[in-house]
Formats: sequence, C-alpha cells, structure tokens
Amino acid sequence: MEPNDRDTTPLGVRDRLWKAWLPGVAAVGALAALVAGSLRLRPTPLAAPPKPQPASTPGPGGQAAAPAQPVRSLERTYSQSAGLGGAASPDRFLRSLTGIAVGIDDHIYLLGDDEIRVFDPRGNRLRSWQAPAHAGCLAAGPDGRVYVGSPDRVDIYDAGGAHLTGFTAGEKDKPADVTAIAVVGTDILVADASARIIRRYGSDGTLRGLIGNQNKTGGFILPNRSLDVGVDARGVVYATDTGRHQVTAWALDGSPLGRFGKFGMSAPEDFVGCCNPVNVALTPDGKVVTGEKMVARVKVYDPDGTLLAVIGPEHFDPSTTHIHLAVDSRGRILAADPVRREVKIFSLNQTPQERERP
Amino acid sequence: MSENSTRRQFIEGSCRVLGFVTIGGAAGLLTQRASANAVYQVDPFKCTSCDLCRTSCVLSHSAVKAVNDFEKCGYCMLCPAYMDVMSKPDEHGIPTGKICPQDALKRRVVGKVDAEDPNNNYYEYVVDEARCDGCGKCVKACMAPAGNASLRLEIRYSRCVECNECAIQIVCPDRAIVRVAAPGMAPAAPVR
Repeated sequence: MEPNDRDTTPLGVRDRLWKAWLPGVAAVGALAALVAGSLRLRPTPLAAPPKPQPASTPGPGGQAAAPAQPVRSLERTYSQSAGLGGAASPDRFLRSLTGIAVGIDDHIYLLGDDEIRVFDPRGNRLRSWQAPAHAGCLAAGPDGRVYVGSPDRVDIYDAGGAHLTGFTAGEKDKPADVTAIAVVGTDILVADASARIIRRYGSDGTLRGLIGNQNKTGGFILPNRSLDVGVDARGVVYATDTGRHQVTAWALDGSPLGRFGKFGMSAPEDFVGCCNPVNVALTPDGKVVTGEKMVARVKVYDPDGTLLAVIGPEHFDPSTTHIHLAVDSRGRILAADPVRREVKIFSLNQTPQERERP
Repeated sequence: MSENSTRRQFIEGSCRVLGFVTIGGAAGLLTQRASANAVYQVDPFKCTSCDLCRTSCVLSHSAVKAVNDFEKCGYCMLCPAYMDVMSKPDEHGIPTGKICPQDALKRRVVGKVDAEDPNNNYYEYVVDEARCDGCGKCVKACMAPAGNASLRLEIRYSRCVECNECAIQIVCPDRAIVRVAAPGMAPAAPVR
C-alpha cells in the first residue's frame, strides 16, 4: 500500500482523539456547565406551614363606598342636561382633559390634548388653538381673555386664540406650581401649590399681593399638592384647603373672611378621605360648588356651609382625583372628569313651587 | 492528495476554533452571571396588595415589607393608610381605628407643631419593618384616589433567602414578582 498525502503525517489513535475530538467534548462540557450554572443550586428552605387566610376586612382603600346618605331632602337637585367631549363625541379628548372655564356669552373653554377648545353653550365647537407645553389649568376673564397656567407660568390669549402676553409665576429661587387661575377685575389670582398660597398678579405679571398666608400655618395644607381657587360675583375669593377639609373664603387683600367644612365619612355635608374638596367654583347667585375625590361627587353649599345639593358618584369615574368645575351664567354646573375625559353639564331642577308658578 | 489533506486540516482547525469559542463564551456567560446577581422584587405597577405576600412567603415573617416613598407622601393628618377612616370617630371627629393590624405604620409630627389643632400639622409615616408582615392593607388604602399612592410593597433583600423558585411568585395572581438585576446584591444566608 502506497502512502498517500494523508498518511505523510500519520496520527496515532491518541493523537486523533486529542486533536480531533477534544474541542467537541469541550463544547459539550461547556454547555453542560452553562446549564448547571443557570440552575442556581441553592438550598430551598423548608416551606413554612400554610398560614390561615384572614377574612377580608372592608377598608377605605381603592374605591370607597359612598357614605350612607341620611334620609333628608336637600334644597336643590340637579340633573344632567348635556355633555361634551365624551367617547361618542367627534370632539372627544384622546389623551387628557385638565381644565375647564366659562367665559363671556357662556362660551366653554376646555384644556386638553395640548390645545384649548372653545364651544358655544350648546356644545358646538367654535375654534381651538395650541396650548403652551405642560399647560394644566385655564380661566376665562370678564374681558374675553383666556388665561392658561403651566407649571410656573401664566400665558394670556385673546378670545380668538392670539397670544397677548405672559409672565413667570413664583419666586426666582422657588418657581410656582400653578394648579388653578381665577380672574377678578384686573387681578389674576394664581394658585401656587408649591408655596401653598394664592398669588395676586396684574396682567403684566406684577405681584400685587398674597392670599392664604394669613393663618397659623402661613399657607394652605395641601397633602395632594393641588390648590383650586374661585371668585364670586362680589369678589370674594374661595379656595380649597384640602388637608383641613375646608373651603376657605378670603378678601382680595388677603384677609380671611370665613371657612366651612370638616372631615367625615358619613354625613353628606362632610368631606371624605385624606384631602378634600379638591375643586371649587361659584354660581352666579353666590353658592359654592365643590368637587371631591375618593367618593367622586359634586356638592353645592351656601357660603355658610349649608349643604344644598349633591351630584352623586354615579356620574364620575371612581378613580378620578379631580373634578374640574365651572358654572355658566344660567347656573349650570359644568364638571370635567379627567379620567373619562368628558364634561357633564348639570342643570338645576325646578322645585314643585317654582313649577306651579305661572 | 493534497486536497484531502487540506480538508482534514480544515475540519480539525474548525473544530478547535469552535471549541475555543464555545468554552470562551460559556466562561464569559458564567462570569457575567456570577458578577450580576438577579433578585426577586415586587413590581409596584402590577401589585394589587392581595395579601398573598404575607401568607405565601416561606419565611414565618414575610420578606415582603411596606415602604413609604416620602417624595410622594402627602404627610396627611388624616392618612387613609394609617387611620381606618370608616371607623368610629372620637369627640374631635378623628377616626379611632387603624388600618394596620400589626400597628406597623408609625407617625410623628414634622415641622412646626401645633398642639392645639392637629389639622395644622404635617405627619411623617414610617413602616416598622419588625412588625410589618407585608399584608399590604396600608398600600391598598393609600392608592389613588384615596391617597397619593406613596406606599408600596417591596421584597427586603436583608430577609429574602432567594429560593430557587419564589413561593410568592408562584401564587401571585398579578405576576407582580419579577426578577431584576441587582449587581453585587448578595442574598441573605439560607434559613436553617
């Protein structure tokens, strides 16, 4: 047998095994090591004996039940008469609904989806324009101007949406957290949840005064970091003091005028949970409208704190943390639910005596 | 002839290269696993505080504890996670019951103290982990819209024994127990 080229470098059996098979064996070994490593061989502790499952205890967490309503009639009742921006509406909001205001001619201004939309009282869309970045609240002034609040800034537009001016709210080293705006005359009231006060500005951004600091704590107690403000026809400023479960009233110069409300989970006139009411608005006849979370509902009070009406939680998403409020010249309450991204409009029902009148 | 020799050398060489690459890759992977430890943790966005963390952990006192995120906490006087707001109120209208069955949520006044009106005070809430058994009642009560959702459940590495298969993960209906990378995080010693 003639030697061929292959046999010119003859390999013994040991050499063949060493050179040809070792890499394969090593590969299999490495894979095995990989699998073993992935098993993380650690001792498994002996399982403890199963513990008895406790009976479920009702608690206030998540969605609380509405407090039991005592059987008594309230002075006013409201019924839903219209809606805006709901799921079936062509004007529905797809991402957000964070502010509502009613301006002259009862035009409705809504802030959501990074724009400001204007509707007539019947709900027909009139116009819209781009909102400033991170805008979270708005107000409509008696002069037709629209005031839009961003975290530390207020921008002013004319009724057509043209940007007129704007100013930075707060202090240089402590920017404001603007959560609400109200307008009275030439004063712009800016709720600053960061400083826990209301700042009163002129339209050029000049600070004219502070509201809410003339109390024991030098400001509102705001566990939920949100402050809402409204002004009645007489110029009395109303603000939410959520940690104290109160609505507070102030003069424009910052002197306190009164307050009402307390914590309670059963009486309907009380405010539930950690921090309520979260929103406030005023009717043309001076009644105070409040919005609550935890038990999502809207209530109407006399300025002395007498409860007049309750619009129940069946109208709102139970997980909402705000019900943004506005009232038009006819006394209709417009409640914006930011979770469902829709506005419900509630009209005052006539009493039997009113219906009997000619 | 020379072609056969070249083919054989090629195959042998390829096997060698493949073997070295495999060994090197396996060594690299094992080194990576050894240096980057992974641990069990609660995903707060999935957790619904169902109480199974308390009852299913192999430890007699669960490794899952409630923690309070002070950045999110409202420092409420009427904290819904501390007080059972549905319980009977005292003469000042403050609920008398507490949410935590172990009394593990403690509070103290912070800042300027008003002894006359507690509504004027801010309160800091801290979980006493020696008492907390991870039932999650406080977490549930603090969820929005009632609270600011500052409380959450967390597996404490100082107690977790890193079972091969986490007993809570097996039963969690929300798939909220997840493996997360925790470089350099050493598990606690196994329980004897």
